[in-house]
Amino acid sequence: MNSATGTVGAAAAVQRHDIVLQCINLHHRFGAKKVLHDINLRIGRGQIVALVGPSGCGKSTLLRAIVGTHPPSEGHIAMHSGNGSGVQVVRSPGRDRGMVYQRYSLFPFLTAQQNVAFGPMLDETSIPFRTFRPFAWRQLRRRHLRAAEEMLVRVGLQDALRKYPHELSGGMCQRVAIAQAMIMRPEVMLMDEPFGALDEATREDLQRMLLSLYGENLKAKQAGEKPPYTMLLVTHELNEALYVGDRVVGLSQYWNWEDYGIRRPPGATVVYDDTAPVHGLDQVRDFERLREQRETIRRVVFDPEARTDPAEHDLFWKKVADGRAEGVLA
Amino acid sequence: MVLGLLAVGLLLGGYTYLSHRQHIENPEDTTIPSWSQLKEGVVKAVQPHPRSGERWVVVDSKATLSRLFLGLLCGVLGAVFLGILMGCSATVEALLVPPLSLFAQVPPTAMLAVFFVLVGTDTEMYVAMIAFGVLPTLAQTVHLSVRDVPEELLYKAYTLGASHAEVVWNVIVRHMLPKLIDAVRLQFGPAMVFLIAAEMVVGDVGFGYRIRLLSRLLDMGVVYPYLFYLMMFGFLMNVGMKQLQRLVCRWHDGGRRSS
Repeated sequence: MNSATGTVGAAAAVQRHDIVLQCINLHHRFGAKKVLHDINLRIGRGQIVALVGPSGCGKSTLLRAIVGTHPPSEGHIAMHSGNGSGVQVVRSPGRDRGMVYQRYSLFPFLTAQQNVAFGPMLDETSIPFRTFRPFAWRQLRRRHLRAAEEMLVRVGLQDALRKYPHELSGGMCQRVAIAQAMIMRPEVMLMDEPFGALDEATREDLQRMLLSLYGENLKAKQAGEKPPYTMLLVTHELNEALYVGDRVVGLSQYWNWEDYGIRRPPGATVVYDDTAPVHGLDQVRDFERLREQRETIRRVVFDPEARTDPAEHDLFWKKVADGRAEGVLA
Repeated sequence: MVLGLLAVGLLLGGYTYLSHRQHIENPEDTTIPSWSQLKEGVVKAVQPHPRSGERWVVVDSKATLSRLFLGLLCGVLGAVFLGILMGCSATVEALLVPPLSLFAQVPPTAMLAVFFVLVGTDTEMYVAMIAFGVLPTLAQTVHLSVRDVPEELLYKAYTLGASHAEVVWNVIVRHMLPKLIDAVRLQFGPAMVFLIAAEMVVGDVGFGYRIRLLSRLLDMGVVYPYLFYLMMFGFLMNVGMKQLQRLVCRWHDGGRRSS
């Protein structure tokens, strides 16, 4: 049930690493219906954590709680700032958490470039500044647009700068949405089934893009710098979770809550938390290799008959403590 | 285009035939004026009047259009303000939706006497009547447009560092702008109806006043050109607003096509 306190070693591992996001004893309910139960999750800087679970288990609810639009009923979420400004409890949406939605949610009245430059504009200026200091604003605007262009070139959209979202394909829109989140350099990027609406080829393309970002994290780690991209990716695709993520967290309502003396279904909790193999960008996708782990996740997280004890597969931080983790937390 | 021109041609042909028939029966008839009578009517409206020296079409246009635009401006500003407030705040929504829904059912021309008592018979009365006439419907349209903005866009704006004011100004207003322009365009007709009706009742200048006066004298040679003028004005306003929408919201039409 608690991913960080399984053993003393795991707790020490948590202490040692640069934690970006913490969910602490988080519960959520809609009226009388309990949705999330005692979620404890710590995400290290530079990780790509894939969050999987059966439909309706509360994955998106957890994500919304982290974004700050639907605060938890109990417990809290803490963001650890990388710039030394300390720990902040999440109470509302903020620029330290970038959001990428399944349906892109780009501003339809802005071009791709303006969409990406929208964040810096909102973050660095105000309405009075833009109204009463037009010359300073124009200069700043040029800088924002240049930065947005660079970001779009990075995600392969150099030819789509001046196109509106309705003129772009789904894959292109999602690239813009990722660039829009990335330009803000958020502490963590939250992705709610980002590739769910895309065809297979585009999906693979974007998965590779995330892997390239993870590659940058590894390079930064080797250079002794802070890894720039931390992501929490909600997906219902197990292959995607294991391919893109360096860690898989399984959220499920099918756990042995009766054994904990709970009388009514308490909602979903974390029943699986383990490392995932780290894939290189040039590595061939071999899902056969992931079969065993995929089967375990399917049995533990998705099987309605499963009565998994949450502590049983709470392995991630123990593996990090034992030096068995790959990637940025190795 | 060809069919449209054909329809106009048929209409003009039909009118010419009717007028011709009428003038065979009564050569002095002014109810269905001939083309030459219409020409005289246009000259009468455009040339300075022998006694007052005023050109009817100029003074009437000035009076009617200033009343119309001032009334619409007040109505639109009020409606946008209230609509956004209702869309953004559940309390204001609960407070204002019931009275606005009720007021939307009252024809403003029926309240002419009320405006007459409250603000007199000058321009203020026409402005108040138009504003009151368009505001409830327009405010409800704005309210619904605000509610139509996907909440994910609002959340995203907040995660990008937007303040509440920026979410309203940079996201909500821009998102609903095409719908607002459409709604204002559709309010031109009703606003014109309210205004002409009021001018017919209490006006001493303006299109409504002139049409009523000349209709009583059966001087249709002036009335028909006036009606044509009103029709062209409405048509051009409609086209103008559509052009404005295309210019200001270039994303909108394409978005609609692709969805």
